[in-house]
Amino acid sequence: MAAAVAFMERALEQAKFALDNLEVPVGCVIVEDGKLISSGSNRTNATRNATRHAEMEAIDVLLQEWQRMGFDQAQVAEKFAGCDLFVTCEPCIMCATALSILGIREVYFGCANDKFGGCGSIMSLHKGSTSDDLSGSQPPKPKGFKCTGGIMAEEAVALFRCFYEQGNPNAPRPHRPVRIPQQ
Amino acid sequence: MGWELTEVPGNPTPSLQDSTVDVVAANIEPKLANALIRELSTICPLENLRHVKRVRRCTECGKSDLSIILCLSTGSQTCIKQLPGDVQKIVDTYQLSPFIVKVAKCSATSKEEWEEQCKLWPTSYHPAHNLDIIRGFRDDELPSIFNCMKTAIQLSKAGNAAIIVDPSSMQIIAKATDQTHKHDTSAEGNKLAEVKANDTFSLDESTENNGNLLRPSSRLSKCNSLNMEVSCINPLGWTKQRTTEQKPLPCEGCFAWHPLRHAAMVAIENAAERDRMLFPSSTPITMPDSNGNLEDYLDNEPAKRLKTDTKDKEQSTDESCCGDLSETTRPYLCTGFDIYLVWEPCAMCAMALVHQRFKRVFYAFRNPVTGALGGVYRLHGEKSLNHHYNVFQVSVPETYLNGLSDC
Repeated sequence: MAAAVAFMERALEQAKFALDNLEVPVGCVIVEDGKLISSGSNRTNATRNATRHAEMEAIDVLLQEWQRMGFDQAQVAEKFAGCDLFVTCEPCIMCATALSILGIREVYFGCANDKFGGCGSIMSLHKGSTSDDLSGSQPPKPKGFKCTGGIMAEEAVALFRCFYEQGNPNAPRPHRPVRIPQQ
Repeated sequence: MGWELTEVPGNPTPSLQDSTVDVVAANIEPKLANALIRELSTICPLENLRHVKRVRRCTECGKSDLSIILCLSTGSQTCIKQLPGDVQKIVDTYQLSPFIVKVAKCSATSKEEWEEQCKLWPTSYHPAHNLDIIRGFRDDELPSIFNCMKTAIQLSKAGNAAIIVDPSSMQIIAKATDQTHKHDTSAEGNKLAEVKANDTFSLDESTENNGNLLRPSSRLSKCNSLNMEVSCINPLGWTKQRTTEQKPLPCEGCFAWHPLRHAAMVAIENAAERDRMLFPSSTPITMPDSNGNLEDYLDNEPAKRLKTDTKDKEQSTDESCCGDLSETTRPYLCTGFDIYLVWEPCAMCAMALVHQRFKRVFYAFRNPVTGALGGVYRLHGEKSLNHHYNVFQVSVPETYLNGLSDC
């Protein structure tokens, strides 16, 4: 547990980095054999791509590195099977599906995500499929991963609060109003 | 069968088991039908079951039986013995043998639901008056919708294909195919639409290029059977490939292959790239020139307060007037855009489409393995999400698919 807190602190640093860049403050790290091998923070604003969540950023770092090292698909799958993810907010439905497609071993998250959470809040994609077809007429389904929430959740929520209080200058107009400090 | 468009409802059609009521009915002689209908509609009108037909005709072994609903059942079998006085009188007069039968509690909201209801007991079905709003498309849009789907089908080779379209101009914003396997980065189709002015991607383009796009293999069989090459259907398919990219990757952000680069994900990336090219950042540090997406992780209380603060809203409207005109016309992510997919997306792709704020999702073929928009889940009916799109299934005539594979 102490190790989990230490890694979550690193994920929170990533989330703060996102906040400083006017991004929704979510951050994560990926750990293999007790060693931090990748990190990522939300970059949906900078990329104008709402799928660039912290998890996706950290995953791409690894995929690129492993491909550069000449690993093939089977080797990469094996690598992911030995990796754990620490993320400040429960992975959304998209990211939870992605993590199960990659076959990540275990996920630890901070606060729950009661709008989009894919690891128990709205859907439970971490549980994988229970109805695997053994006849072989259907493709194999992702088997899911172990998931533990609530690690340093208050710190993660505090960052969200900071973000919402400062307002998002990039929100669509006029849908979401912006607080501009008087000059 | 021709081209057809059907909305995929966000809420599962309630199972009929949960939405039926018991009524007391009896078989009658056909010649009694008229008189009994008249009598019963006076003494026992079915006030809350106006959609339920009073009489059912069952045709079995060439002979047809008529049954009529006498009254609502009060619940148990014993109620047959305690019918309202007037109804009991009819039962006695015509020597009927009442039985209990289930009928649909509410009128059907779709043709499919209505067909299900009629298996229990016939009901009437009146499609809603304001069809355009209910259906989410206009009839005059149908040809271009089918055209877009044709373009997507022609783009898909082995796996899935995605095309993002701005329905206001019918301009293709981006297109993509599955890139989970090894791919050629210059591959046809995996590019964002040309962004230069006057160079709109015409929807006819794909038909002109038919010769290049068509494959000799049987497309029909690929579409009708479970296509294991579609990334959304076979999400673990990537692990079965063997590609060792020895060459250095051409650029930062390039991948020889990528387990998560399903067609929809790549299309979104291409649309985002187009957006960055069309509206390059002008004020980088304090006001990065990008659209916010603040609710995509959590929707906390302060954000809700912001939303309803009308004073702030005025302020932001004023502010946007001072900005560059092109900036104010820039769409927020893919707001207002449609996406066409040959195959129904998995949960990852379907959620990505929510994040990117699509307006409508069209797909041709169901994904019974991992489909998130009707096949297995109904993500678009999930109330907690902060954005909802409409989902439609385009049924493609077999003759069209045959024609493609014959070329």
